[in-house]
Parts: sequence; structure tokens; C-alpha cells
Amino acid sequence: MSEKIHTSYTNEIALFRTLWLKVWLCILLISLALCPYVLSRYQLSILNEMEIAIIGALGLNLLIGFTGQISLGHGAFLAIGAYSTALLTGNLNLPFIVSLPLSGLISALLGMVIGIPALRLKGLYLALGTLAFGFIVEYILFHWDVTKGDLGMSVKRIQFGSYIIRTETQYFYFITLVTAVSIVCAKNIARSKIGRSFLAIRDRDIAAEAMGIPLAKYKIMAFGLSSFYGGIAGCLIAHYQKWIVPGSFDMSVSIAYIAMIVLGGMGTILGSVFGAVFITGIPHGIVYMTDMLKESYPALTGLIVDFKLGIFGLIVVLALLFEPQGLAGIYRRVKIYWTTWPFRY
Amino acid sequence: MKMLEIIVNGLSTGAIYALLAMGFVLIFKSTGILNFAQGELAMVGAFMCFSFVMLLNIPYLVGFILSLAVGASLGAGIDFLFFRRMVGKPMFSTIMVTVGLAGVISSIAGFVWGHDVYSIKSPFTDRNLMIWGITISQGAICTICVSILLFTLFLLFFNRSLLGVAMRGAAEDPDTAGLMGINVNRIYMLAWAIGSVVAAMSGIFLAEQSFVRISMSHTGIQAMAAAILGGMDSIRGAIIGGAILGIAEGLAANYLSGLEFGSFHFGDIKEVAAFAIMIIILMIRPRGIFGKEKVERV
Repeated sequence: MSEKIHTSYTNEIALFRTLWLKVWLCILLISLALCPYVLSRYQLSILNEMEIAIIGALGLNLLIGFTGQISLGHGAFLAIGAYSTALLTGNLNLPFIVSLPLSGLISALLGMVIGIPALRLKGLYLALGTLAFGFIVEYILFHWDVTKGDLGMSVKRIQFGSYIIRTETQYFYFITLVTAVSIVCAKNIARSKIGRSFLAIRDRDIAAEAMGIPLAKYKIMAFGLSSFYGGIAGCLIAHYQKWIVPGSFDMSVSIAYIAMIVLGGMGTILGSVFGAVFITGIPHGIVYMTDMLKESYPALTGLIVDFKLGIFGLIVVLALLFEPQGLAGIYRRVKIYWTTWPFRY
Repeated sequence: MKMLEIIVNGLSTGAIYALLAMGFVLIFKSTGILNFAQGELAMVGAFMCFSFVMLLNIPYLVGFILSLAVGASLGAGIDFLFFRRMVGKPMFSTIMVTVGLAGVISSIAGFVWGHDVYSIKSPFTDRNLMIWGITISQGAICTICVSILLFTLFLLFFNRSLLGVAMRGAAEDPDTAGLMGINVNRIYMLAWAIGSVVAAMSGIFLAEQSFVRISMSHTGIQAMAAAILGGMDSIRGAIIGGAILGIAEGLAANYLSGLEFGSFHFGDIKEVAAFAIMIIILMIRPRGIFGKEKVERV
């Protein structure tokens, strides 16, 4: 399994660079298809949660990792997506197949509006602006009668014509489909002209502009894409949980998503997947461990909620200090090590 | 008369914002790091003061000074453990480390002190002054006085003392400052220590006006609006930004709270007034009132 040397540009940016990649992807898809027959309902629900998180993390990574625009308000875009679909399917009786892209689009539209000040703001100012936006969205959801504030809104089940998704297995197959499509789209964006422009803007925006990349267009496009993904993830969360409250899209959600892309690896599609799986898995792992220790230390269970944010924060800090490339960087290093073994290069 | 009362009350909350904003500015001015954990440092300061005064029965003034000392060592420790390794890293990394630290600190504080609401009994508690028919608590007057005093002190420090000039130099250009014989690492550590002392102080004063609880760290993020309003690199701006923010919040709370527009009711507007102001300033004049415009080199 040696690394192929690319002889043409088309080869370099190909979606599947090696035959082995195709084989591994097939194995992954088959094992995913078999999951519902092997795993319990609870384990399947964790997988569902992870897959939704992957969609959201892809969006944030396109914005932060690829374009280098800091956003501390990704939770707000999830909230907009979730509440859009709740209102569209609940109040206007639109079918789910319409409300899924529509909630993404509404979120993208608001994201682009937030992106306009980003043309003037850089770095920390943008971080502050998106942070403030997150708080304002939360406030509006609390105080607008249509969204029912603290009481929360109930969301209908996913319905295609007369076919209603009810069981965890049906949810799993549907969410897997959406996630797979999202990953392929993100990968395609990343390897196209758009993705390369994003990278150029991240590395040096003034130089990128000098090379003929329209900054305004691509920065706003990055915000729109990121919030579109966030809106889709929020829409799926709403239909999956069937009950949404403003409190479940607060600042800690934004931090969790940042933890995902920082831990997974910024500026890589694979990194968003790794990060989303790990960060979503960690609380469940802690629950599993404390369940085992519950007999000897009954007080432990209550602490998890307290420590979730702290653990995510610690992961962000440690990852940035010791492994800024994230899990995707570690994966790449290990792969290169074994392909060139026993030589060092 | 009512207007005057709103302004006086606004000034007393504004003084706390000003203190918190001053902490932001001090750290940002000298190290170039925007500290999102400022509110958490203030919260720890207030909880330390609470522990010393209420749990260990130490006299208030001693407890106050002890908690400032704890705040200073916490700030210096954060710089030593994290930011000394991060010199020259991109802004995203430094910002995210402070955001992560904020989560870690509030988790640990929740574990140590719990999620209850406490109050500190201080010499100012329940003592009010009557001036021209307006009631002002002594704590509020003390906060306003301290923030003006600190402002003068820092102004003298940065303009007259050798150390202050060295700090400004290190902020301007760390490499050149190092060549001039300034120990940049020590300067950064000092800036973090001073910033955290100011944060702890504002936390204790905030506890004076309301309560000691984990969620008081939220005020730190609101105070960022004050820092932005005045300009992120101006101490004078922090004071004036804090005062304006406090008064604006007071006015919004008085005239807008409880209003209804169709199906939207404002409720307690005080929570978001600061964020709304923040977004407006960022759109109109991102560098703030007194901030210097940055010229970027390619």
C-alpha cells in the first residue's frame, strides 16, 4: 500500500486517490449498514447523534478551518435551523422534504447577513461579533411568542408522503444518507476552486485579494455554507429529538463544535468527522464509566453535567498546545510513518 | 429626578464594567491576547473573598487583599502554564485557549463551591447614602472611586514609570523589546497578574452589588462590549466605555423592559443590551472611540 506519486493535477485532486481508499470506504459503508442488526437501541442513538454532529462540524470547519474566519456562534445557526423546521412543518404544514433544505437556506441567509460585517472585521472582532449574535438569537427565541420561549416547541416526525420515520433504525439509515451526502459535498467544495480560494483567504487575505480572489464574495460564501450546514444539522436535531428548547443551543454548544474541529483537525474534512465522533462520544463514555463505578461512588453521576464543558474546554486547550493539527494530523503522521517504514522519510 | 437616579445606578454598574474592561485592555494591550476567561477570573476572585470572609471568618479587608493575591497568582500561573508556550501562535489559537480555559475554570468552580447563590457580608452591606434625595449604596460609591483611582494609577504607570514604558514597548514589538534588554516573558506574566487582580477586584465589587454565583462570569462577556466601545487598546476608553454601557443598560432596562411588539415581548432587556451595543459598534466603528486604527503590513 504505497503512496502513489501523482503525475497529473486531476489525479492530485481526485476524490478517491487510491484503490485502497475505495475498498476501505466500501467496508465502512457495509459495516454501517449492518450496525442496526448488531447494536442496541441506545448505541444506535449515539451513532445518530454523532452523525448529526458531523454535519454541523463540517460547516464550522469550512468557516474556521478553511477560511480562517472565527465564529463563536455556531450554536445559533443550529438553533435557527431547528426552529425554522419546527415552524415550517408545524405551523405551515410543509412536508419535511421541503423544510429540510429550506431551514438550511434560512440559516444560510442569516449567516450571510452576519458575514457582511466580517468583511470589515478580523480575528478577535469577528469572534466577539459572532458571540454577541449567539446571545441575541438565544434571547429572541426566549422572548418571541411564536417560538414559545422556555416551554419549547414540539416537532413532528419525519414524513415522506405517507411513510413516517419512527424507529431508531429508520432514523439511522436516513441520517447516514444525509451525512454521507454532506461529507461528499464538503469534500467536493474543498477540492474545487472555492475550497482553494478559502485556503488562500485563510493564509493571507490581502495576498489572496491581490491574486484576484474576490474577498467579499468568498467570505460571505464561507459564512453562508457554514450556516447552511449548521441549519441542516439543527433541522435533523429538531426532528430527531422531537422537542426543542432555546437552552439546548447555547454557548456551550458552540464551544463543543469548536472542540470538535480543533480536536479533529482544522482545515480537513476527515478531521471534522473524527472530532465530531470523539466529542459526541466522550460524554457517553463518561456515563458508561461512571455507571460501572456507581456502586462504589454514587455521587459521581451528578458531576458529569458540571464537567462536560470543562472537559471540552480542556480538550481545546490541550489540543491547541500539543497537537494543533488534531487527530487528522496524527492519522497522517502515522500513515506516513508506516508507508515509509523502516526509513524515516 | 428619575432620570438622575437611573444615571447614578447606571454609573455604579458601569464602574464594574469599567473595571472588567480595564482588565481586558491591560492584558490585550501588553500581550495581544483577548482573554475570554476574564469573567471567570472575576468569579473566582469573588468566590475566594466569600470563602475567606464568610467561611474562614477573616476580617473583610484582609480577605479582600488575600483574594487579590490569589487572583494575581492565578493570572501569572495561566500565563506560565499556557501562554508562554503560545508566543507567536495565530490569534485563533490564543483566543480558543482562553475560551477553553473559561470552561475549565467554571467547571472547577462549580465543583468546589457548588451552584448555590451566596452573598458576602462586607462593611458596606446595607449602608446607603442620601444625596439630593437619591439613595446610593456605599459599595457603589466605593466601586466608582476605586475605578477612577486605578485609572489614574495605570495612566501614571504606563506613562511615567520605567516598567510601564517597558510594557508598552513589549506590546508594540516583542522582538525589538527583547533586543533592548526587556525580559518580555516577565512583562507578559506581570500583565496577566495585573489583569487578573483587576478582574478579581471587579468580581468582589460585583458580588457587593448582587450575589456570588457561578453565572456571574457572564458579566465578563458583557464587559467586552465596554472594552470594544472604548477601544480595545485604550485604558481611558475602558473607563468611559464602561460608564456609557452602564447608563445605556440602565436606560434600556427602564424604558424598554416589559414592552411588547406584536408577538414579541422584550422581557428583561438588560441581558442583551450589551450584546446589541457590541454588534452596533462593531458595524460602525470597530476600533472603538479611543482605539488606534491598525495598519497591516503584507
